[in-house]
Amino acid sequence: MIEYRGIYKAFDIPVLRGIDLRVETGEMFALFGPSGTGKSVLLKTTLGLMTPDRGDVEIDGMSVFHGRRGALEEVRRKTGYVFQYAALFDSLNVYENVVMGLPEAELARLSKRDVARRVWDAIEIVNLEPNEVLVKIPAELSGGMKKRVGIARAIVGRPEILLWDEPTTGLDPINTTAIERLIHRLSEELEVTSLLVTHDIEGGLEMCDRVGMLEGGFLRFCGTPEEFRNSPDPVVQAFIDRAAAEAALDMMSGAR
Amino acid sequence: MVKRQAHVALPIPSMISRWFSGFGRVALVTADHAGGLGALTWQVLGSIVRLRVRYRDVMEQAYIMGVQSLPIVFVTASLAGIVTSQQGGYQIASASPRYLLGTLVVQSVVLELGPLLTAIVLVGRIGARITAELGTMVVSEQIDAFKSLGRDPVAILAAPRVIAGVITMPLLVGFADVIGVWTGMISAEISADLGRGEFLYGARLFWHSWDLFYGFTKAVVFGFIIPLISVHMGLRTTGGAAGVGLTTTRAVMFMILTILILDAVFPPLMLQ
Repeated sequence: MIEYRGIYKAFDIPVLRGIDLRVETGEMFALFGPSGTGKSVLLKTTLGLMTPDRGDVEIDGMSVFHGRRGALEEVRRKTGYVFQYAALFDSLNVYENVVMGLPEAELARLSKRDVARRVWDAIEIVNLEPNEVLVKIPAELSGGMKKRVGIARAIVGRPEILLWDEPTTGLDPINTTAIERLIHRLSEELEVTSLLVTHDIEGGLEMCDRVGMLEGGFLRFCGTPEEFRNSPDPVVQAFIDRAAAEAALDMMSGAR
Repeated sequence: MVKRQAHVALPIPSMISRWFSGFGRVALVTADHAGGLGALTWQVLGSIVRLRVRYRDVMEQAYIMGVQSLPIVFVTASLAGIVTSQQGGYQIASASPRYLLGTLVVQSVVLELGPLLTAIVLVGRIGARITAELGTMVVSEQIDAFKSLGRDPVAILAAPRVIAGVITMPLLVGFADVIGVWTGMISAEISADLGRGEFLYGARLFWHSWDLFYGFTKAVVFGFIIPLISVHMGLRTTGGAAGVGLTTTRAVMFMILTILILDAVFPPLMLQ
């Protein structure tokens, strides 16, 4: 379970103004919101990649910012993070990138053969051909392949929680659909708690158990996809309409 | 009329307040960097003590900093030796015994030119590279990726570079000293008609082993400070590709200024 308690963060101006949110164990939760509303900032506070000015995050009852020594390391060990642009290490090949996803203690314990097996499996799970990609460096991969390798790196350590930071940004509609299917399949197969930050409202509503919307630094909405669609809040409806129009434009530019 | 009075009355207080705010800003930035460098030094030492630094990473960095820098250090040291010898020969041609040219070349190269020029070469070749590399890793979220995977970026990226700098810089300075003295001796033979025996006699006449220790101490300090500042600046990069360029320029200025200031601090500390 992930619990955000009164998260406040400002960069010159406040971005998050006291966010309270709870994502239950095994749940798949999508977070929407216009650009610059702090969705990625909130996600980064989960692993202590950004420190909130006020508030705290708890993972399965463990405090990330005010917990005992070693709590942050433990939280990071049980969590996989998929970055917006994959954030693969340029100087390492795909195999070495994915190996980095294995916790150090596990790496020390596993034989070389077992490590290779885990990497191979993770690459296969994300629908890539290990023989083709393992020796390549990130510069030799397409955008969609990079995202898949980023996902493989996040799941190879068998996390209990997966954090997805706009995993479909910058992809064409075909790759977007493929990655969305992958996210859905992984979340079900691996039985993980998933928090997904996305601009793709339709994808998020289809995949997730609950959704939330950030606006003006506050959590404007939190509920089921059905409640979101039928929300009487004019801000939510305006956001849905705008997102639908943008998606249509994207489709048209993709078709051209 | 009122407007004109206000225009005349405002500049002095505004100049003073501007001066104070400028001074305050510089003090804050200096304190911020000093604190950041101190914290990074502590983290680097911590990762070394806890044996978190991989031998392979240190060797890789030592190869880049040391072996790959040999050609440019060779050229720089050669020219430094030749120029010192020729200018020294011109200066002392009529007024002093010619063998003093040997003293001048060896002392200049060992005490000053060897460590300083090698450090400045390394700032351009290594310091800028490290800042740009780490800066790019910051803006492309690779540093965040290291942290999210439970890895320590200081142990993986900073410590190997700092250790490699401390190891390779004295070796490069030793190489620069030998090359500088050698080319200075050849140049003295050609341009000032000073025999090698006379050159070496002059070199030995005022030689102190302390001078070598002094030069190598400088080398160790420079070898520590160059990667430390470049890593520190790289990890503070913000703002995409433009930010990487800006931070790299600032880092180079920061490193050169620090080296020149430290170079000025050494004589009163060690040559009294």
